[in-house]
Amino acid sequence: MTMKEIKDFVAQFDARIPLDESRIVRNRNRYYLLSKKLKQQAPKGFFYAGAYLGAVKGAAFFPSFILLSMVAESKANKLVIDKKTAWLFICGRDIFKKGILKGNNLKKGDYTLILNEHNECLGFGKIMHNLREEPDVNKVVVKNILDIGDFLRREKRQSKRQQHSSRVQGRDRTPHKYFRRS
Amino acid sequence: MSSKEFFVNRYKTLGWIYKEVKLKQAIRINTMNANRDTVVKRLESLGIMLEKIPFLKDGYWIHKSKFSVGATAEYLLGLYSIQEAAAQIPATLFTELEDKTVLDACASPGGKTVQLANRMNNSGVIVALELKQRKMFALANQLERNRVTNTATYNMNAKEATKLNMKFDCVLLDVPCSGNYVTDKDWFSKRTIEDVHRNARLQRQILTEGVEVTKHGGEIVYATCSLEPEENELNIDWAIGALNVEVEEINCHGEKGLTTVFGKELDSSIEKCRRIWPSQTQGFFVCKLRKLA
Repeated sequence: MTMKEIKDFVAQFDARIPLDESRIVRNRNRYYLLSKKLKQQAPKGFFYAGAYLGAVKGAAFFPSFILLSMVAESKANKLVIDKKTAWLFICGRDIFKKGILKGNNLKKGDYTLILNEHNECLGFGKIMHNLREEPDVNKVVVKNILDIGDFLRREKRQSKRQQHSSRVQGRDRTPHKYFRRS
Repeated sequence: MSSKEFFVNRYKTLGWIYKEVKLKQAIRINTMNANRDTVVKRLESLGIMLEKIPFLKDGYWIHKSKFSVGATAEYLLGLYSIQEAAAQIPATLFTELEDKTVLDACASPGGKTVQLANRMNNSGVIVALELKQRKMFALANQLERNRVTNTATYNMNAKEATKLNMKFDCVLLDVPCSGNYVTDKDWFSKRTIEDVHRNARLQRQILTEGVEVTKHGGEIVYATCSLEPEENELNIDWAIGALNVEVEEINCHGEKGLTTVFGKELDSSIEKCRRIWPSQTQGFFVCKLRKLA
Protein backbone atom coordinates (compact mmCIF):
# COMPACT_ATOMS: atom_id res chain seq x y z
CA MET A 1 0.00 0.00 0.00
CA THR A 2 2.85 2.35 0.84
CA MET A 3 4.12 2.48 -2.71
CA LYS A 4 0.86 2.33 -4.65
CA GLU A 5 0.11 6.05 -4.70
CA ILE A 6 3.68 6.87 -5.75
CA LYS A 7 3.86 4.14 -8.42
CA ASP A 8 0.48 5.16 -9.84
CA PHE A 9 1.52 8.78 -9.96
CA VAL A 10 4.83 8.04 -11.70
CA ALA A 11 3.08 5.72 -14.20
CA GLN A 12 0.96 8.69 -15.37
CA PHE A 13 4.10 9.99 -17.07
CA ASP A 14 4.67 6.64 -18.75
CA ALA A 15 7.68 6.28 -16.47
CA ARG A 16 9.14 3.94 -13.87
CA ILE A 17 11.71 4.84 -11.28
CA PRO A 18 13.61 2.50 -8.99
CA LEU A 19 12.52 3.10 -5.39
CA ASP A 20 13.59 0.86 -2.53
CA GLU A 21 10.30 0.26 -0.72
CA SER A 22 12.09 -0.76 2.48
CA ARG A 23 13.44 2.77 2.77
CA ILE A 24 10.15 4.58 2.20
CA VAL A 25 8.55 5.86 5.36
CA ARG A 26 5.05 7.26 5.73
CA ASN A 27 4.76 9.96 8.38
CA ARG A 28 1.21 11.29 8.79
CA ASN A 29 0.06 11.63 5.17
CA ARG A 30 3.56 12.25 3.81
CA TYR A 31 6.03 9.89 2.16
CA TYR A 32 9.79 10.13 2.56
CA LEU A 33 12.63 8.15 0.99
CA LEU A 34 15.41 7.74 3.54
CA SER A 35 19.04 6.94 2.81
CA LYS A 36 20.39 3.81 4.53
CA LYS A 37 22.25 5.94 7.06
CA LEU A 38 19.25 8.11 7.79
CA LYS A 39 17.03 5.06 8.20
CA GLN A 40 19.51 3.54 10.68
CA GLN A 41 20.39 6.66 12.62
CA ALA A 42 17.52 9.16 12.60
CA PRO A 43 15.42 8.84 15.75
CA LYS A 44 11.67 8.37 15.43
CA GLY A 45 9.28 11.30 15.57
CA PHE A 46 10.82 13.37 12.80
CA PHE A 47 8.88 16.17 11.14
CA TYR A 48 10.61 15.89 7.74
CA ALA A 49 13.32 13.47 6.63
CA GLY A 50 15.37 12.40 3.63
CA ALA A 51 13.89 12.93 0.19
CA TYR A 52 10.30 14.09 0.53
CA LEU A 53 8.25 12.27 -2.12
CA GLY A 54 4.77 13.67 -1.69
CA ALA A 55 1.58 13.67 0.35
CA VAL A 56 -1.76 11.92 0.14
CA LYS A 57 -4.89 13.97 0.65
CA GLY A 58 -8.09 11.97 0.31
CA ALA A 59 -7.70 10.00 -2.90
CA ALA A 60 -5.22 12.45 -4.42
CA PHE A 61 -1.44 12.27 -4.39
CA PHE A 62 0.47 15.57 -4.27
CA PRO A 63 4.03 15.00 -5.48
CA SER A 64 7.08 16.83 -4.21
CA PHE A 65 9.46 18.56 -6.57
CA ILE A 66 12.14 16.10 -5.47
CA LEU A 67 9.98 13.25 -6.83
CA LEU A 68 9.31 15.13 -10.08
CA SER A 69 13.06 15.66 -10.53
CA MET A 70 13.62 11.93 -9.96
CA VAL A 71 11.03 11.10 -12.64
CA ALA A 72 12.60 13.67 -14.98
CA GLU A 73 15.90 11.77 -14.79
CA SER A 74 14.21 8.66 -16.24
CA LYS A 75 12.43 7.99 -19.52
CA ALA A 76 9.12 9.83 -19.17
CA ASN A 77 6.69 12.17 -20.90
CA LYS A 78 8.54 15.47 -21.09
CA LEU A 79 8.11 18.81 -22.84
CA VAL A 80 10.92 21.32 -23.13
CA ILE A 81 9.67 24.90 -23.26
CA ASP A 82 11.31 28.21 -24.15
CA LYS A 83 12.52 30.86 -21.69
CA LYS A 84 9.46 33.12 -21.78
CA THR A 85 7.03 30.22 -21.53
CA ALA A 86 9.07 28.79 -18.62
CA TRP A 87 8.70 32.05 -16.73
CA LEU A 88 4.94 32.21 -17.37
CA PHE A 89 4.61 28.54 -16.34
CA ILE A 90 6.35 29.23 -13.02
CA CYS A 91 3.86 32.06 -12.53
CA GLY A 92 1.07 29.49 -12.76
CA ARG A 93 0.10 29.94 -16.43
CA ASP A 94 -0.80 27.25 -18.96
CA ILE A 95 1.38 26.56 -22.00
CA PHE A 96 0.74 27.71 -25.59
CA LYS A 97 1.89 25.46 -28.42
CA LYS A 98 4.30 28.11 -29.70
CA GLY A 99 6.30 27.90 -26.45
CA ILE A 100 7.17 24.21 -26.87
CA LEU A 101 10.69 23.47 -28.10
CA LYS A 102 10.77 19.68 -27.82
CA GLY A 103 8.29 16.82 -27.32
CA ASN A 104 5.47 17.25 -29.78
CA ASN A 105 4.08 13.72 -29.87
CA LEU A 106 2.01 13.69 -26.67
CA LYS A 107 -1.72 13.13 -26.84
CA LYS A 108 -4.74 14.73 -25.22
CA GLY A 109 -5.12 13.48 -21.65
CA ASP A 110 -1.42 12.60 -21.17
CA TYR A 111 0.44 13.97 -18.20
CA THR A 112 3.83 15.45 -18.87
CA LEU A 113 6.76 16.92 -17.01
CA ILE A 114 7.67 20.45 -18.02
CA LEU A 115 11.37 21.18 -18.45
CA ASN A 116 13.19 24.42 -19.20
CA GLU A 117 15.97 24.82 -21.76
CA HIS A 118 18.47 23.51 -19.21
CA ASN A 119 16.41 20.30 -18.81
CA GLU A 120 15.44 21.25 -15.25
CA CYS A 121 12.00 20.16 -14.13
CA LEU A 122 9.68 23.10 -13.49
CA GLY A 123 6.56 21.07 -12.71
CA PHE A 124 3.97 19.09 -14.61
CA GLY A 125 0.81 19.54 -16.62
CA LYS A 126 -1.92 17.80 -18.59
CA ILE A 127 -2.07 17.78 -22.39
CA MET A 128 -5.29 19.41 -23.63
CA HIS A 129 -4.95 18.72 -27.39
CA ASN A 130 -2.99 16.21 -29.44
CA LEU A 131 0.19 18.19 -29.92
CA ARG A 132 1.12 16.86 -33.35
CA GLU A 133 -2.34 17.60 -34.77
CA GLU A 134 -2.94 21.02 -33.24
CA PRO A 135 -2.32 23.65 -35.96
CA ASP A 136 -2.97 26.77 -33.86
CA VAL A 137 0.28 27.86 -32.20
CA ASN A 138 -1.60 30.36 -30.04
CA LYS A 139 -3.75 27.72 -28.40
CA VAL A 140 -3.28 26.51 -24.82
CA VAL A 141 -2.13 22.92 -25.19
CA VAL A 142 -0.88 22.11 -21.67
CA LYS A 143 -2.76 22.86 -18.50
CA ASN A 144 -0.51 23.79 -15.59
CA ILE A 145 -1.10 21.46 -12.65
CA LEU A 146 1.93 22.13 -10.47
CA ASP A 147 4.95 24.40 -10.89
CA ILE A 148 7.93 25.45 -8.74
CA GLY A 149 6.33 28.86 -8.12
CA ASP A 150 4.38 26.86 -5.55
CA PHE A 151 7.27 27.37 -3.11
CA LEU A 152 6.48 31.09 -3.04
CA ARG A 153 2.72 30.51 -2.88
CA ARG A 154 3.20 28.13 0.07
CA GLU A 155 5.17 30.78 1.95
CA LYS A 156 2.37 33.28 1.40
CA ARG A 157 -0.28 30.78 2.50
CA GLN A 158 1.68 29.83 5.59
CA SER A 159 2.35 33.41 6.51
CA LYS A 160 -1.37 34.29 6.09
CA ARG A 161 -2.33 31.28 8.18
CA GLN A 162 0.08 32.36 10.91
CA GLN A 163 -1.21 35.93 10.87
CA HIS A 164 -4.75 34.59 11.13
CA SER A 165 -3.77 32.27 13.98
CA SER A 166 -2.13 35.04 15.94
CA ARG A 167 -5.17 37.28 15.44
CA VAL A 168 -7.46 34.53 16.64
CA GLN A 169 -5.48 33.47 19.66
CA GLY A 170 -2.85 36.15 20.06
CA ARG A 171 -0.11 33.50 20.07
CA ASP A 172 1.27 30.53 18.16
CA ARG A 173 -1.08 27.62 17.75
CA THR A 174 -1.28 24.22 16.12
CA PRO A 175 -0.93 24.44 12.34
CA HIS A 176 -3.50 23.44 9.76
CA LYS A 177 -4.53 19.78 9.99
CA TYR A 178 -2.79 19.01 6.67
CA PHE A 179 0.56 19.50 8.37
CA ARG A 180 -0.29 18.24 11.82
CA ARG A 181 1.48 15.20 13.20
CA SER A 182 -0.62 12.18 14.10
CA MET B 1 21.23 57.69 28.96
CA SER B 2 19.34 56.20 26.01
CA SER B 3 19.56 52.54 25.17
CA LYS B 4 21.48 53.43 22.02
CA GLU B 5 24.03 55.51 23.93
CA PHE B 6 24.44 52.70 26.43
CA PHE B 7 25.27 50.07 23.80
CA VAL B 8 27.34 52.41 21.62
CA ASN B 9 29.46 53.30 24.68
CA ARG B 10 29.98 49.62 25.38
CA TYR B 11 31.23 49.07 21.82
CA LYS B 12 33.60 51.99 22.25
CA THR B 13 34.97 50.47 25.45
CA LEU B 14 35.53 47.25 23.50
CA GLY B 15 37.54 49.18 20.91
CA TRP B 16 35.05 49.76 18.11
CA ILE B 17 33.41 52.98 16.99
CA TYR B 18 29.74 52.65 16.07
CA LYS B 19 28.78 53.37 12.47
CA GLU B 20 25.67 53.04 10.32
CA VAL B 21 25.92 50.10 7.95
CA LYS B 22 23.79 49.35 4.94
CA LEU B 23 23.58 45.60 4.57
CA LYS B 24 24.17 44.14 1.12
CA GLN B 25 22.01 41.20 0.08
CA ALA B 26 24.06 38.06 -0.49
CA ILE B 27 23.55 34.67 -2.07
CA ARG B 28 25.37 31.36 -1.83
CA ILE B 29 25.60 28.99 -4.79
CA ASN B 30 24.45 25.46 -3.99
CA THR B 31 27.23 23.60 -5.72
CA MET B 32 25.64 20.20 -5.09
CA ASN B 33 22.84 21.27 -7.47
CA ALA B 34 24.75 23.27 -10.05
CA ASN B 35 28.12 24.43 -11.25
CA ARG B 36 29.14 27.77 -9.69
CA ASP B 37 30.20 29.50 -12.92
CA THR B 38 27.08 28.31 -14.74
CA VAL B 39 24.79 29.78 -12.09
CA VAL B 40 26.70 33.07 -12.09
CA LYS B 41 26.38 33.30 -15.88
CA ARG B 42 22.66 32.49 -15.76
CA LEU B 43 22.02 35.17 -13.14
CA GLU B 44 24.08 37.72 -15.05
CA SER B 45 22.08 36.94 -18.19
CA LEU B 46 18.95 37.87 -16.23
CA GLY B 47 20.48 41.28 -15.49
CA ILE B 48 21.54 40.51 -11.92
CA MET B 49 24.92 42.08 -11.21
CA LEU B 50 26.98 40.03 -8.78
CA GLU B 51 30.07 40.84 -6.78
CA LYS B 52 32.19 37.99 -5.46
CA ILE B 53 32.51 37.98 -1.68
CA PRO B 54 36.29 37.77 -1.23
CA PHE B 55 36.23 35.71 1.95
CA LEU B 56 33.67 33.10 0.81
CA LYS B 57 34.12 30.39 -1.81
CA ASP B 58 30.49 30.26 -2.97
CA GLY B 59 29.21 33.65 -1.81
CA TYR B 60 28.23 36.65 -3.94
CA TRP B 61 26.78 40.04 -3.07
CA ILE B 62 23.90 41.29 -5.18
CA HIS B 63 25.33 44.47 -6.60
CA LYS B 64 22.27 45.34 -8.64
CA SER B 65 19.04 43.60 -9.59
CA LYS B 66 15.81 44.93 -11.06
CA PHE B 67 13.78 42.22 -9.37
CA SER B 68 13.79 40.04 -6.29
CA VAL B 69 16.46 37.35 -6.35
CA GLY B 70 14.02 35.28 -4.29
CA ALA B 71 11.69 34.87 -7.25
CA THR B 72 13.88 33.56 -10.07
CA ALA B 73 13.58 30.06 -11.54
CA GLU B 74 17.18 29.46 -10.45
CA TYR B 75 16.27 30.23 -6.83
CA LEU B 76 13.14 28.05 -6.96
CA LEU B 77 15.24 25.24 -8.43
CA GLY B 78 17.62 25.41 -5.47
CA LEU B 79 20.64 26.52 -7.50
CA TYR B 80 21.39 29.20 -4.90
CA SER B 81 20.22 30.35 -1.49
CA ILE B 82 19.79 33.85 -0.14
CA GLN B 83 22.09 34.00 2.87
CA GLU B 84 23.79 36.96 4.51
CA ALA B 85 27.57 36.96 4.01
CA ALA B 86 28.62 36.56 7.67
CA ALA B 87 25.98 33.86 8.16
CA GLN B 88 27.71 31.83 5.46
CA ILE B 89 30.86 31.50 7.59
CA PRO B 90 29.96 29.01 10.39
CA ALA B 91 29.21 25.99 8.16
CA THR B 92 32.54 26.44 6.36
CA LEU B 93 34.53 25.97 9.59
CA PHE B 94 34.11 22.23 10.10
CA THR B 95 37.23 20.38 9.01
CA GLU B 96 35.51 17.48 7.27
CA LEU B 97 31.80 16.86 6.79
CA GLU B 98 31.28 14.17 4.15
CA ASP B 99 29.65 11.05 5.62
CA LYS B 100 29.63 12.57 9.10
CA THR B 101 26.79 12.70 11.61
CA VAL B 102 25.97 16.35 12.15
CA LEU B 103 23.66 18.23 14.51
CA ASP B 104 22.23 21.60 13.53
CA ALA B 105 20.81 22.57 16.90
CA CYS B 106 18.80 25.70 16.05
CA ALA B 107 18.07 25.14 12.40
CA SER B 108 15.23 27.31 11.06
CA PRO B 109 14.97 28.90 8.52
CA GLY B 110 17.48 26.33 7.27
CA GLY B 111 20.07 28.36 5.33
CA LYS B 112 22.94 26.81 7.26
CA THR B 113 21.33 23.35 7.18
CA VAL B 114 21.28 23.52 3.37
CA GLN B 115 24.86 24.76 3.40
CA LEU B 116 25.93 21.82 5.58
CA ALA B 117 24.12 19.38 3.25
CA ASN B 118 25.83 21.07 0.34
CA ARG B 119 29.28 20.60 1.92
CA MET B 120 28.36 16.98 2.68
CA ASN B 121 27.11 16.47 -0.87
CA ASN B 122 23.96 14.97 0.68
CA SER B 123 26.01 12.20 2.34
CA GLY B 124 25.97 11.26 6.03
CA VAL B 125 23.20 12.47 8.32
CA ILE B 126 22.11 15.88 9.53
CA VAL B 127 19.73 16.10 12.47
CA ALA B 128 18.14 19.57 12.50
CA LEU B 129 16.29 20.83 15.56
CA GLU B 130 13.85 23.72 15.74
CA LEU B 131 11.90 24.77 18.78
CA LYS B 132 9.04 26.66 17.15
CA GLN B 133 6.56 24.48 15.32
CA ARG B 134 5.46 27.20 12.92
CA LYS B 135 9.08 27.47 11.70
CA MET B 136 9.16 23.76 10.84
CA PHE B 137 7.27 24.39 7.59
CA ALA B 138 9.72 27.03 6.38
CA LEU B 139 12.55 24.63 7.18
CA ALA B 140 10.84 21.78 5.28
CA ASN B 141 10.22 24.01 2.24
CA GLN B 142 13.83 25.12 2.27
CA LEU B 143 15.04 21.49 2.31
CA GLU B 144 12.67 20.41 -0.48
CA ARG B 145 13.48 23.42 -2.68
CA ASN B 146 17.23 22.84 -2.32
CA ARG B 147 16.88 19.07 -2.82
CA VAL B 148 18.46 18.21 0.52
CA THR B 149 18.05 14.48 1.17
CA ASN B 150 20.34 13.69 4.13
CA THR B 151 18.46 15.59 6.85
CA ALA B 152 15.85 14.75 9.46
CA THR B 153 14.13 17.63 11.24
CA TYR B 154 12.64 17.57 14.73
CA ASN B 155 10.38 20.01 16.51
CA MET B 156 12.60 19.98 19.59
CA ASN B 157 14.35 22.32 21.98
CA ALA B 158 18.14 22.35 21.53
CA LYS B 159 18.37 22.31 25.34
CA GLU B 160 16.98 18.75 25.19
CA ALA B 161 19.24 17.38 22.44
CA THR B 162 20.41 14.50 24.69
CA LYS B 163 16.89 13.05 24.34
CA LEU B 164 17.86 12.08 20.79
CA ASN B 165 20.23 9.45 22.24
CA MET B 166 22.75 10.20 19.51
CA LYS B 167 26.37 11.32 19.43
CA PHE B 168 27.56 13.63 16.67
CA ASP B 169 30.87 14.19 14.87
CA CYS B 170 30.05 17.85 14.27
CA VAL B 171 27.64 20.17 16.05
CA LEU B 172 26.54 23.56 14.79
CA LEU B 173 25.28 25.84 17.55
CA ASP B 174 23.89 28.87 15.74
CA VAL B 175 22.23 29.87 18.97
CA PRO B 176 19.31 32.26 19.49
CA CYS B 177 20.81 35.66 20.32
CA SER B 178 20.07 39.35 20.81
CA GLY B 179 20.90 40.08 17.17
CA ASN B 180 22.42 43.39 16.14
CA TYR B 181 21.36 46.81 14.91
CA VAL B 182 22.34 46.17 11.29
CA THR B 183 19.52 43.70 10.64
CA ASP B 184 16.93 45.47 12.80
CA LYS B 185 16.50 49.23 12.56
CA ASP B 186 14.67 49.31 15.92
CA TRP B 187 17.28 47.19 17.67
CA PHE B 188 18.47 49.87 20.10
CA SER B 189 14.96 50.80 21.21
CA LYS B 190 13.96 47.16 21.70
CA ARG B 191 16.97 45.69 23.47
CA THR B 192 18.10 45.97 27.06
CA ILE B 193 21.12 44.55 28.86
CA GLU B 194 18.70 42.23 30.71
CA ASP B 195 17.79 40.65 27.33
CA VAL B 196 21.48 40.12 26.66
CA HIS B 197 22.00 38.41 30.03
CA ARG B 198 18.90 36.24 29.56
CA ASN B 199 20.09 35.15 26.10
CA ALA B 200 23.59 34.46 27.44
CA ARG B 201 22.11 32.09 30.07
CA LEU B 202 20.08 30.28 27.41
CA GLN B 203 23.15 30.01 25.18
CA ARG B 204 25.15 28.40 28.01
CA GLN B 205 22.42 25.80 28.43
CA ILE B 206 22.49 25.03 24.70
CA LEU B 207 26.32 24.96 24.71
CA THR B 208 26.27 22.47 27.59
CA GLU B 209 23.81 20.22 25.76
CA GLY B 210 25.67 20.62 22.46
CA VAL B 211 28.97 19.53 24.03
CA GLU B 212 27.22 16.61 25.75
CA VAL B 213 25.97 15.16 22.43
CA THR B 214 29.33 15.65 20.66
CA LYS B 215 31.64 12.66 20.29
CA HIS B 216 35.03 12.95 21.98
CA GLY B 217 37.32 14.70 19.52
CA GLY B 218 34.29 16.08 17.68
CA GLU B 219 33.91 19.68 16.52
CA ILE B 220 31.45 22.29 17.73
CA VAL B 221 30.94 25.55 15.88
CA TYR B 222 29.33 28.24 18.03
CA ALA B 223 27.91 31.33 16.31
CA THR B 224 25.79 34.36 17.14
CA CYS B 225 24.85 37.52 15.28
CA SER B 226 25.20 39.47 18.53
CA LEU B 227 27.88 42.07 19.27
CA GLU B 228 27.55 41.66 23.01
CA PRO B 229 30.52 39.91 24.69
CA GLU B 230 28.23 38.21 27.24
CA GLU B 231 26.84 36.12 24.35
CA ASN B 232 30.23 35.60 22.74
CA GLU B 233 33.68 35.73 24.35
CA LEU B 234 32.35 35.53 27.93
CA ASN B 235 30.30 32.43 27.08
CA ILE B 236 33.29 30.76 25.45
CA ASP B 237 35.49 31.67 28.41
CA TRP B 238 32.91 30.05 30.66
CA ALA B 239 32.74 26.95 28.38
CA ILE B 240 36.53 26.47 28.53
CA GLY B 241 36.31 26.28 32.32
CA ALA B 242 33.02 24.42 32.71
CA LEU B 243 32.85 22.08 29.73
CA ASN B 244 35.36 19.65 28.32
CA VAL B 245 36.40 21.77 25.30
CA GLU B 246 39.24 23.78 23.84
CA VAL B 247 39.16 26.56 21.24
CA GLU B 248 40.49 25.62 17.81
CA GLU B 249 42.29 27.87 15.36
CA ILE B 250 40.09 29.03 12.47
CA ASN B 251 40.98 30.86 9.32
CA CYS B 252 38.10 33.10 8.30
CA HIS B 253 36.96 36.69 7.93
CA GLY B 254 36.87 38.75 11.13
CA GLU B 255 39.02 40.09 13.94
CA LYS B 256 40.52 38.11 16.81
CA GLY B 257 38.18 37.45 19.72
CA LEU B 258 38.50 39.86 22.66
CA THR B 259 40.61 38.58 25.54
CA THR B 260 39.94 41.56 27.79
CA VAL B 261 36.29 42.45 28.28
CA PHE B 262 35.29 45.38 30.52
CA GLY B 263 38.48 44.91 32.53
CA LYS B 264 38.15 41.16 32.87
CA GLU B 265 40.98 39.00 31.51
CA LEU B 266 39.76 35.97 29.59
CA ASP B 267 41.50 32.76 28.53
CA SER B 268 44.12 33.66 25.93
CA SER B 269 42.84 30.98 23.51
CA ILE B 270 39.74 33.11 22.94
CA GLU B 271 41.68 35.21 20.50
CA LYS B 272 41.27 32.22 18.13
CA CYS B 273 37.57 33.11 17.91
CA ARG B 274 36.44 35.60 15.27
CA ARG B 275 34.46 38.78 16.01
CA ILE B 276 33.00 40.57 13.01
CA TRP B 277 32.10 44.19 13.67
CA PRO B 278 29.47 45.55 11.23
CA SER B 279 31.01 46.82 8.01
CA GLN B 280 30.68 44.76 4.85
CA THR B 281 28.44 42.36 6.75
CA GLN B 282 26.20 42.36 9.80
CA GLY B 283 27.79 41.89 13.23
CA PHE B 284 28.78 38.31 13.96
CA PHE B 285 30.79 36.08 16.27
CA VAL B 286 32.01 32.60 15.52
CA CYS B 287 34.34 30.06 17.05
CA LYS B 288 35.24 26.40 16.77
CA LEU B 289 35.56 24.18 19.83
CA ARG B 290 36.88 20.65 20.08
CA LYS B 291 35.54 18.25 22.67
CA LEU B 292 38.45 16.75 24.55
CA ALA B 293 38.76 13.03 25.12
